[in-house]
Amino acid sequence: MKKQNLTGTMNPYLKFLIDYSVPIIISLLVAFAIPLSGLSGKYFIKELTIRLSRNSFLILALLIPVMAGMGMNFGIVLGAMAGEIGIIFVTDWGIVGLPSMLLAMLISTPIAILLGYFAGIVLNRAKGREMVTGFMLGFFMNGIYQLVVLYGMGNIIPISNSKILLPRGYGIRNAISLMGIRQVMDKFIPLKIGGILIPIGTILVIASLCIFIVWFKKTKLGQDMRTVGQDNEVARAAGINVEKTRILSIVISTVLACYGQIIFLQNIGTMNTYNSHEQVGVFAIAALLVGGASVAKANIFNVFIGVILFHTMFIVSPRAGKAIIGQAQLGEYFRVFVSYGVIAFSLALYAWRKRVEKENERRKAMAFKRMLLQNNNTAEGDKL
Amino acid sequence: MRKRIIIRITLIVVLILMGISLYTIGKEHKVLIDNKDISMGGLTYNADTAYNVRVDNLEIGLLEKDERKAVKVVGASHKIVVEEIKNKISTGEKHEKKFKLKINENVTINLPAMVNNMDKWIEKIKN
Amino acid sequence: MKEKVKNIIENVGLPRIIIFFFLVSLFVLAPFVGISLSTSINDVIVRLSMNGILVLSLVPMVKSGCGLNFGLQLGIIAGLLGAVISIEMEATGFVGFFMAMGIAIFIAVILGFFYGVLLNKIKGDEMVVATYVGFSSVSLMCIFWLILPFKSPNMIWAYGGSGLRTTINTQGYWFHVLTDFLQIKIGSHIIFPTGTLLFFALLCFLVWAFFRTKIGTSIDAAGSNPDYARSCGVNVDKMRIISVILSTVITAIGILVYEESFGFVQLYMAPLYMAFPAIAALLLGGASVGKASIKNVIIGAFLFQGILTMTPSVINNIIKSDMSESIRIVVSNGMIVYALTRKSKVRS
Repeated sequence: MKKQNLTGTMNPYLKFLIDYSVPIIISLLVAFAIPLSGLSGKYFIKELTIRLSRNSFLILALLIPVMAGMGMNFGIVLGAMAGEIGIIFVTDWGIVGLPSMLLAMLISTPIAILLGYFAGIVLNRAKGREMVTGFMLGFFMNGIYQLVVLYGMGNIIPISNSKILLPRGYGIRNAISLMGIRQVMDKFIPLKIGGILIPIGTILVIASLCIFIVWFKKTKLGQDMRTVGQDNEVARAAGINVEKTRILSIVISTVLACYGQIIFLQNIGTMNTYNSHEQVGVFAIAALLVGGASVAKANIFNVFIGVILFHTMFIVSPRAGKAIIGQAQLGEYFRVFVSYGVIAFSLALYAWRKRVEKENERRKAMAFKRMLLQNNNTAEGDKL
Repeated sequence: MRKRIIIRITLIVVLILMGISLYTIGKEHKVLIDNKDISMGGLTYNADTAYNVRVDNLEIGLLEKDERKAVKVVGASHKIVVEEIKNKISTGEKHEKKFKLKINENVTINLPAMVNNMDKWIEKIKN
Repeated sequence: MKEKVKNIIENVGLPRIIIFFFLVSLFVLAPFVGISLSTSINDVIVRLSMNGILVLSLVPMVKSGCGLNFGLQLGIIAGLLGAVISIEMEATGFVGFFMAMGIAIFIAVILGFFYGVLLNKIKGDEMVVATYVGFSSVSLMCIFWLILPFKSPNMIWAYGGSGLRTTINTQGYWFHVLTDFLQIKIGSHIIFPTGTLLFFALLCFLVWAFFRTKIGTSIDAAGSNPDYARSCGVNVDKMRIISVILSTVITAIGILVYEESFGFVQLYMAPLYMAFPAIAALLLGGASVGKASIKNVIIGAFLFQGILTMTPSVINNIIKSDMSESIRIVVSNGMIVYALTRKSKVRS
């Protein structure tokens, strides 16, 4: 039964290794694979700038539920779907440029709030199982999304732009060109350094979100969420409406994810109507975990370090695979494996440590009780 | 309590107004430009020269006789500038007109009519 | 009377009732839209025999308190390995089939053991970790399917020369060995897959009997009340590992039966989401995260396959469009979400 003492009285170096085992392993893998891939430094800088500006907002959306003790919010997929619906409408109406992106954000916000609220209620009813439920909820919503977008649009929901409809007259096409909205935020204040486009607009937005998150943590609501995240009972005793706070954290996260997906799509310029949001949850969460976050603790550094490490691995894998075995396909499977594996490993590590700590608490409580009883007995003995 | 409701309703109204203005500012319209003969009320205006066309500072190019070009513009108010070109050289004659587009409006502009300051130089395209 | 109805609705669960009536209405509508009822029922029975064992495999782990086996893919991988190795050795017919099963069971025991040890270390969070362990193992196996030295020309890429194909045809090996066994033909359209059904029934019976043995009841006790079981001298951890191994083995057998009936061995990413339909079916049959029985398996598999079969044919004829895929996603995942949100017994 050695394990009980592990987390409490561990050698600090060992603790660091275990806490950050995921980023360390990934860093090693990446360091190994970069030279194999044969890609230039300039290529990396260019790719990473793009990916950082494209994905960071989405991953930042994951931070608030972690704060509130909801774990990894697999339900950000719902926010992504809301954003896509906004984009579909804006494209249908023929709006272009920055106004189109802002309008898409505007109309998808109520949808995101609604979906987030629904997700929050469902997750509240599955306390202790939030992550699995969130995960399955994402799949479930995908089905509803399909029913709405593939069958409802053009039918019950009026869509006039025939370019985005399927030949049969209703249902949105598989891939929609977003030329009108392409890179509007990225190019908002155009700046080119050494041939690389620096997306000032997007960077400003991401920076504002970071500032918002830091500020939010200091507000009463933020503090309430942190208390709820620490311990439900303590929060309840302090007068905090635990259920409402949890739901609110999910709503905020969903809305942020909605905007994040719109930012993501404006960078890419095309939307895969039915696939774009599928891997959003997995990749965002994997990136966050690779950045050193855990189910209970995640901060802004985790987000950016995570994006850099995770996406470098993403870029490098196919080529490294080709260099090692001669098949790029190997690298692709490898990076899918790493994405899933990272999540499995982090979750297992977290669950294991949670159990060990719980055991520790229990033993401590039992020992304390025993001590109390002993004291009582000696007191009694004294009296006699 | 009252104050909260008022604030919320104001917020919603503001958002709706923002939405409408974004829609108007960002809406794409199609503008067709014709350099064709046009007859109105008994009078005929011939398209006998080429014109160099600019819309909103975007160079559309040369429109020869009987040519038609299509342009996408964004927003409500626009400006079109035409320069007469005879034998590949500009004659120096310029015409400029401003026009406003309503939501969902697509228009056709006829160059001879415009150059001659006719009323119906610009017409809505009926879908 | 109203009280009784209310009780039933609460116990059975509104979604299940809705789905049941939905299915009944589909059956009723079928003849009116030109779908032959007998063919449909035959289809459902065939699919039931194909998928039933996978649903059955979930039962041991639910009983032991490990929750729903989202890591089903591990057992499937064992089965796939068995199939592929058996085909590599050019074994055909029943011999080939049972050889595949033997290899698969062997691998499943090993995988199940490690899987069980892992689950024991993370009691309380099994499901979410299992999901991702399952996903990562499928992706890991993708790498292996590519590089393992298989040579059978039936299985490797034609031009590349190395690495297994995505789908491998079992025709000529052991396609339909069970299905054709004791086949009963009724009329020209109805083919009763007696062999497969008998096999499914046999396994159901074995599982049912197992849980009446000493080990079986210990597993049950470990699942419903671990502390009490421990005080009775039951090694809860060991029971959980046994149940996981059992589940994984049954899964391996189940995927082989599926392949034998379907005709193809599907490698690479195909098994990724295979856990969900099985879990949804089990839940549809009345099981919950903490409780499952053979009854749930049979009822659930029948209902689920019923929906899967009837929805495309009936609804497509009415609405002239193929909504079945989306409906399937909504029904199966919705069922799982619903089950996850039901209040269950508190386990320590």
